[in-house]
Amino acid sequence: MYTKVILVKDTDLKREDRTREFYTRLLDYLREVNLHSQIQVVRVADIGVYEKGLVVKILPNKITYVNVQDADIKRIVDAAFQEEKIIEDMVFKPKSKQFRIVLRNCGKIDPESIEDYIASGGYLALKKVLGELGQQKLIEEIKVSGIRGRGGAGYPTWMKWNFAREVASAEKFVICNADEGDPGAYMDRSVLEGDPHSVIEGLIIAAFAIGASKGYFYIRAEYPLAVERIEKAIKQAYDYGLLGKNILGSSFSLDIDIRLGAGAFVCGEETALISSIEGKRGTPHPRPPYPSVKGLWGKPTVINNVETLANIAVIIAKGGKWFAQIGTGTSKGTKVFAVTGKIKNSGLVEIAMGATLREIVVDICGGTLSGKPIKAVQTGGPSGGVIPKELLDTPVDYENLQKLGSIMGSGGMIVMDDDDCMVDIPKFYLGFCVEESCGKCAPCRIGGFQMLNYLKKISEGKGKLEDLGQLRRISQAMQKASLCGLGQTASNPVVSTLKYFEQEYNEHILNKRCPAGKCSSLVTYRIIEDKCKRCGICFNNCPVKAISGGKEEGYAIIQDKCIKCGRCFDVCKFKAINKK
Amino acid sequence: MSRLTPADLDTMSKGPYDKPRDWIKVGMSSCGIAAGAEDVFNFFIEEVKKRNLQIEIKKCGCAGMCYAEPLVEVSVEGLPSVTYGTVNKDVATKILEKHVISKMLVNDYIFDVLI
Repeated sequence: MYTKVILVKDTDLKREDRTREFYTRLLDYLREVNLHSQIQVVRVADIGVYEKGLVVKILPNKITYVNVQDADIKRIVDAAFQEEKIIEDMVFKPKSKQFRIVLRNCGKIDPESIEDYIASGGYLALKKVLGELGQQKLIEEIKVSGIRGRGGAGYPTWMKWNFAREVASAEKFVICNADEGDPGAYMDRSVLEGDPHSVIEGLIIAAFAIGASKGYFYIRAEYPLAVERIEKAIKQAYDYGLLGKNILGSSFSLDIDIRLGAGAFVCGEETALISSIEGKRGTPHPRPPYPSVKGLWGKPTVINNVETLANIAVIIAKGGKWFAQIGTGTSKGTKVFAVTGKIKNSGLVEIAMGATLREIVVDICGGTLSGKPIKAVQTGGPSGGVIPKELLDTPVDYENLQKLGSIMGSGGMIVMDDDDCMVDIPKFYLGFCVEESCGKCAPCRIGGFQMLNYLKKISEGKGKLEDLGQLRRISQAMQKASLCGLGQTASNPVVSTLKYFEQEYNEHILNKRCPAGKCSSLVTYRIIEDKCKRCGICFNNCPVKAISGGKEEGYAIIQDKCIKCGRCFDVCKFKAINKK
Repeated sequence: MSRLTPADLDTMSKGPYDKPRDWIKVGMSSCGIAAGAEDVFNFFIEEVKKRNLQIEIKKCGCAGMCYAEPLVEVSVEGLPSVTYGTVNKDVATKILEKHVISKMLVNDYIFDVLI
């Protein structure tokens, strides 16, 4: 049996992978000193450290050494056998670590087993709430914790609950907003699929806090597995008496139902969501009155996001004070981000508020996949803004992101590198919002459409400098006059790119050039004769036969026929195609 | 199933969660299933039966490392618990033969060490 394990991985992407070579050297040395039966050496796919040369991790002590050279092998093996010994000049202590509250059980328990959830401490918070705390103290605890809504706007959760509690009404409702619609965001889906009971427990506690007797899950039908698992979980909770009449023997009763959304983005807005549950067309209406006072069927209603609810049980179990220690002054706790785009390790990251964007995208997610520098990070989906690389050291919390012209949003984070065009990106997001606008109010319906037209013009090289001013004016009107969050924030991607990347807009307008080579109307492909080996692969791959010539005389692109699909550029092995 | 009392909850929460027995967990959320986790899960179940191994095969949600799906976490006594990524049937066979039977970690597919 081995007593130690040494993990090895070459994390330098710029040179040839040396993992195998080092692995063999290390093994040879171990054989030489006759330790190979005590230490197992393992090549790993990911060691959790990036761009630090050869990395070695020794288990079970979990000591990581970085930038290791062949000459260090002896030192490392020696140190591995002395419990306390750490080689200071090579050791690596990670600065940023994930901190899991919401994702505490995801990937750990069987989501289809209530026993698993209970065995990991589940429903104990509910017991505490029903048995000891009572409404008043419960809301007090949530107030102390300082948790704010994780759905986007960041409204303090305790205030929502308190408003709804104070209204006298025979009937009240709680709704879990699982209508996650931001492109690139899927944290809520993961929680619903990986730990459905944590959300149900949060919803039961919310219902108790305001005195509701009926709760709804509003989930989009595009999440069939999430719906299936929530359905199962609700049934299990009923069977165990955690839902239904007299929960856990108390006088509190609650029924929960699922309502499926058809996938309209605007239905994530609370008033539109309510309309949708009522069976009406999913359009928002003016607030106040807020749903906490007059919501579903005109009754006081609390609507909380999946991630908010998944936090509640932990806050109750560990106390509001414990929760309030985590995070920054105004933003407490953790936030889950779905990091996607041009990133090496895409996936879910949960960090304490106040971690910087750089820690998230570089230290935890390993930087860009292509190895090219990061150009910008987009947070908050179509309602958020683009944050340039110069501001990556900003600590993430609600206020800071807002100051930068973006928002926390639900937690989508899209990483962009130099191949992404800062006119094309807002065009995409705005296009999304124009599609998803319900059309009820004019600023959003007309404003969005007009802005999109300007962006299209600019990306085609037909823009004028005055258009930028016009874009700013329309966006102001939309922000001020739109009925709901969708219209008010739809222009954020445009405004923030105009703020940080105006130069790129100017390039498109004045020089008719797209620096990233993304806007197809402004790009031309040419074959560089000196580099062309006349292999003919571009000729064979062109879908519109826009390449003429032959192996003898060489090839050329017929510009009139070219549709700028970029196929020739991608297939050329000799980099003989110029894209400009 | 019967309705729980607060006392039942207390007993169950001390329950045999992750008892020291050996287990393999396969991440079976949308992202895992899309990457082929269902096949891997069924493969483990079949093989464990065929080879008569004493190891429990369980489902779990997504651990967050979506880039390396399907994810498989393995805990075998005497070895650190590790998460294997991009697991297919070939890797699954290696996990059973090397990790579970011969008690050695498998090269090249470890994405995370949990201990």
